[in-house]
Amino acid sequence: MDITLLTTPKEAPLFSYSNQKVSNVLQAAIDMQSNNQPQNSHTSTSRSSDSSELPSASGKWASRLLKECARAISDKDSGKIHHLLWMLNELASPYGDCDQKLASYFLQALFCKAMGSGQRCFKTLNAVAEKSHSFDSARKLILKFQEVSPWMTFGHVASNGAILEALEGDTKLHIIDISNTLCTQWPTLLEALATRNDETPHLKLTVVVTASTVRSVMKEIGQRMEKFARLMGVPFEFNVISGLNHLGELTKEGLGVQEDEAIAVNCIGALRRVEVEERGAVIRMFQSLKPRVVTIVEEEADLSSSRDDFVKCFEECLRFYTLYFEMLEESFVPTSNDRLMLERECSRSIVRVLACDDENSPEGECEKRERGSQWSERLKEAFSPVGFSDDCVDDVKALLKRYRAGWALALPQGDHHESGIYLTWKEEPVVWASAWKP
Amino acid sequence: MEIQSCIYQLDLLRRESLITMPEKMAEEAYPNLIDENTIRSGSNPPAVKKKRNLPGTPDPEAEVIALSPKTLMATNRFLCEICGKGFQRDQNLQLHRRGHNLPWKLKQRTSKEPRKRVYVCPEKACVHHHPSRALGDLTGIKKHFCRKHGEKKWKCGKCSKRYAVQSDWKAHSKTCGTREYRCDCGTVFSRRDSFVTHRAFCDALAEETARMKAVSNMNTAVAGNINYHFMGTPLGHSNPQNVPSIFKPISSNEDTIINPTTRGLSLWIGHGSQGQETMINNNLQGIHQLGPLCSGATFADPLVSCSNISPSDYHQNWVFGNKLSSSNSEELTSTSLPLIDVKEAGTQLLSIPSLYETQHQSNQTPSANMSATALLQKAAQIGSTSTDPSFLGSFRLKCNDSRVQDGNKLGGPYGSNSILSNLGKDAEKTAGDLFQIHPAKRRHAEIEDGSGGETRDFLGVGTVQPICHPSSFNGWI
Repeated sequence: MDITLLTTPKEAPLFSYSNQKVSNVLQAAIDMQSNNQPQNSHTSTSRSSDSSELPSASGKWASRLLKECARAISDKDSGKIHHLLWMLNELASPYGDCDQKLASYFLQALFCKAMGSGQRCFKTLNAVAEKSHSFDSARKLILKFQEVSPWMTFGHVASNGAILEALEGDTKLHIIDISNTLCTQWPTLLEALATRNDETPHLKLTVVVTASTVRSVMKEIGQRMEKFARLMGVPFEFNVISGLNHLGELTKEGLGVQEDEAIAVNCIGALRRVEVEERGAVIRMFQSLKPRVVTIVEEEADLSSSRDDFVKCFEECLRFYTLYFEMLEESFVPTSNDRLMLERECSRSIVRVLACDDENSPEGECEKRERGSQWSERLKEAFSPVGFSDDCVDDVKALLKRYRAGWALALPQGDHHESGIYLTWKEEPVVWASAWKP
Repeated sequence: MEIQSCIYQLDLLRRESLITMPEKMAEEAYPNLIDENTIRSGSNPPAVKKKRNLPGTPDPEAEVIALSPKTLMATNRFLCEICGKGFQRDQNLQLHRRGHNLPWKLKQRTSKEPRKRVYVCPEKACVHHHPSRALGDLTGIKKHFCRKHGEKKWKCGKCSKRYAVQSDWKAHSKTCGTREYRCDCGTVFSRRDSFVTHRAFCDALAEETARMKAVSNMNTAVAGNINYHFMGTPLGHSNPQNVPSIFKPISSNEDTIINPTTRGLSLWIGHGSQGQETMINNNLQGIHQLGPLCSGATFADPLVSCSNISPSDYHQNWVFGNKLSSSNSEELTSTSLPLIDVKEAGTQLLSIPSLYETQHQSNQTPSANMSATALLQKAAQIGSTSTDPSFLGSFRLKCNDSRVQDGNKLGGPYGSNSILSNLGKDAEKTAGDLFQIHPAKRRHAEIEDGSGGETRDFLGVGTVQPICHPSSFNGWI
């Protein structure tokens, strides 16, 4: 590989690129390409498509280039790979518009894939993230995100509603929270417990943490939760379980599950972090805990069934993150630092999915999402779906009304007995929430 | 004279109402007494006030009526004897009867001397089912039955809260979404759920829970004595720095205060040593008593006192600032940060002006039976209401902006190299630089703010107001 080409120092990228610049780069690329050694038939068709689309070089150039590059990598066409990586590097910037950002983060993953350095890159990114994480920064970031976007709160409200209904009337509740939401779901539940019931039940919360960045702040979070529960007047007990190699290792005893407790398993964005082959085992483990209700919330993307086909996986990944980045752009103010942080968080996930192979993978970092229908297939082996009550659905709708326009609730079509509800952003389903009982 | 006796009666009834029933019903039963405007205006003091008993304690000579649920909910109970038309209210029926052109004799109402009627709730399990707890008003019993035992058919569109009684729903819809929730730290929320979530993580919570526990313990114990104990000390101080030194810890409650204080402190001190914590403990017990004093005699309402955290925090910071910066290594990369920055960096901001606005709480009704929601809301309302942004509040806003700009600026030189060269190294550099630039920028912002046009005293508070308001002593005289 011609390394020198790729590391040539370049001028600082501007915040917004004029169409002219993009066309210039593309034109230069086309000229370069035509001087290269003859390509095989596959790439020659793409070359012609480049030149024909040159006049409309603005808008959505990122997805085109990125997909091209992915195809090139899949075909192991090193000349083309070089070429496209160079172009993307010219145009990408994590501080620019959506296209530039996507180009930047995906370029990083593509580069790692081409170089085979995915694992190393991922580890470095992780280390950096862990170092810069603190309670204050994490808290601020997550609360701000929840304030401007219902991406997370949708799942929280739906799950809380399902849990409260399923555990209605019980006096000893035990919620097993397998998520990395820093317990932001629980204050509203505590409030509901304190005010809704005549007799406030005792709540034990056991949080299972899978992300390494979250672990360090859990102590602080626990203290806050305990204080808050005291303020609310809810008898409360808090435990954290971290350092697990994988979720399947959890046991009833390990979680401190007692016979007289009403159990709820709450799993937000955590199932996707389990290795694909082990997901069935984890679901069976949930079953062994004999919960009254299991709430699962996941992001809607299919990155697992296509994991053997790089291009397909790439395209799906790109589609999902395009939605996510656009959502972030419209939800935050343009100069928001928080949005920048959230985008950076994505970079690790993108590298992990695209550039890391499954062998010698670290704990709980798989990130291969599945769609709601796929999760439903898995969950149906051990559980049966519970629909969200009308009250709960109304709560979710009221929640969405409090945010900017563009968000909506979608109920499943009904013909496949699909379960769960979807959060949609501009008509695209993005988050799936569901409830299950044994 | 009459006014004073009215006020006395009001207080008497209020106190009684505390014992027997929730606040809401008190308001319902005493609309004319609680309407203080009419009393205070003095222009037309009502000569004869209809004497009302407490709801649920009916006149012994009244006739007890027990209606079945069906009859109770029937809407047209008043029937015209001439044409049989039904009306919801007696007045409406009378109006209608006029239209029949009756001869004068029959125009008079068939002399039903208005024998007092009271109604019982048809629901057997209900308190009001028993005649001794009957309610005096038909509308009242209808509403009660719906609220407690009825299906909630009315629903708020904004927050999806449900109501059984239409008038309740209407009343709620008017105020839903208009309400603002204010946290102790000064942030205002229009949404309840984001307020609750914020509250759970807000640093203001740490101090408050400690005080709440302390105060609630004292409340159940010797409330009156403690009250006088504090009343003896000078209250007119506007300089909060002096106030903490006046106090001695209340010996009986030392144990209960220690634990929450320690834990609250751990937030401040971070990973400080145990020795530090106990020492701080002893000093702070005095400071924590600042709360109850400054709010005067509002002991019965523990949350009122909780708002006055800022002077103690400031004091704490002042004394322990150095220790804080050295031990809290996680978040701060340089120990040379000035004192105020340390506080800012360590925690969310606390509003200092809250010390001075207890006079806004004149209508607090201390009630031991308040629900958790009401308590929470009260705590929220007690936050800063001064129009000047708190010194630290605006300070924080400025910091945010400056930080963002830094991030963008730093992006420039790194942007081009970052992607393809050493990825990890670059990210570290950026993060590190951001940290270093922060303190400098924040300092700048602080200085800017301090020289702003508004008059501020040492703490950055606008106008200095008296600490205690006489009306807050009402409940205790």
